[in-house]
Amino acid sequence: MKDQCLVGLLILSVSIAVGCAREPDTRQAAAGDGTADIVESDEWQATLVPVTFEAWQEKLVALHGQVVVVDMWATWCLPCIERFPQMVELAQKYADQDVEFVSLCLDDRDDEDSIALAKRFLTEQRARFPNFLMDEVVTQAFEKLDLLGIPAVFIYGPDGSLRYRLTGDDPNNQFTDADVDDAIEELLAAS
Amino acid sequence: MNLRGLNLTALLLTMAILPCPALQAGEYNAVIDIGEPMPQFSDLPATDGTTLSSSDLEEEVVILVFLANHCPWVKGMDPDLVELGESIQSDKVRIVGVSVNHREDDRLPAMKEHAAQAGYNFTYIYDESQELGRALGATRTPEYYIFDKDRRLVYMGLLHNSPASKRRDGTINYTEGQPTEFYVVDNVKALLAGEEVTVAETRAHGCSVEYEQD
Repeated sequence: MKDQCLVGLLILSVSIAVGCAREPDTRQAAAGDGTADIVESDEWQATLVPVTFEAWQEKLVALHGQVVVVDMWATWCLPCIERFPQMVELAQKYADQDVEFVSLCLDDRDDEDSIALAKRFLTEQRARFPNFLMDEVVTQAFEKLDLLGIPAVFIYGPDGSLRYRLTGDDPNNQFTDADVDDAIEELLAAS
Repeated sequence: MNLRGLNLTALLLTMAILPCPALQAGEYNAVIDIGEPMPQFSDLPATDGTTLSSSDLEEEVVILVFLANHCPWVKGMDPDLVELGESIQSDKVRIVGVSVNHREDDRLPAMKEHAAQAGYNFTYIYDESQELGRALGATRTPEYYIFDKDRRLVYMGLLHNSPASKRRDGTINYTEGQPTEFYVVDNVKALLAGEEVTVAETRAHGCSVEYEQD
């Protein structure tokens, strides 16, 4: 299912890129033939809440008291799209424990196509955790977050301290899905 | 590392426990620093059917630029890169594009198509072993590395101060408006004039390079 959704998103991306006259529905795209009926089995729609960098920091402070896993992503980042399902799986795995999952989208806030695609992707992924959009000029957002690239996963301890900064900044030590899971386990064991 | 918003306890905890060490080489690079020599490479295949080795580079200044066909930040900056090639038509300067990713649309066949489509006017090579990319700590596309006549690294980072991305509607959006600081052009001019570069390192912005992990 997850692969199908991903393929659907990528097909959608390509369709938009080549300038389809009509905006395709993601589920039609996923069906592959463009004629499938749209079956709305779930009315839930993801929201993407814009936050300035300052507001983002306040959001983090408000989450103190639990382990907080932040996935930084964008629709222009293919590795981010490919790893996002793991974030959703982990959110389900740790649903009963003191872990909050949050996504922070770093798409261009002024690019309506990308924002719409981001919302559809989150909806399709069933990303039922808080989803934020960085409301800054994207290059300035990277600077303020001290990010070189995405995907990146920041994991905060219950005291609010940044405990794991998982990035691709070092070619010889780029993080894997297992690193994210291991970090959460370790923080839960310690708290 | 940005520590705004973290208190002293958090800072100490972070320093003590952070599993990934902070970048240790350049300000924005985990592997290489300004002043280090250009890594050697041999017989990397190019889109024009030839191969290129570092020993083939005889020009006074060499610019290696890391690219990825699939990346909107590369596509958005392609016109400026091609313009760079036109503006420094000189037998003293050589531009070499490098693709590193293993995803299909970043491999050699796709590179050939992309180079033709974008009008690349420079050699575009595929670093399939990823050794060159690793040796340069190249983790984003596009990112520029300039080497002087002694093949020492004198600059790494952005082409200019307003990275551009190609949106899905085909338009190109400069994040900071029209560029006003042209790091690569100005540094090349300085080198050709026998002067020091003015800016040595900037924070490259773009898609992440994916390295195969053991």
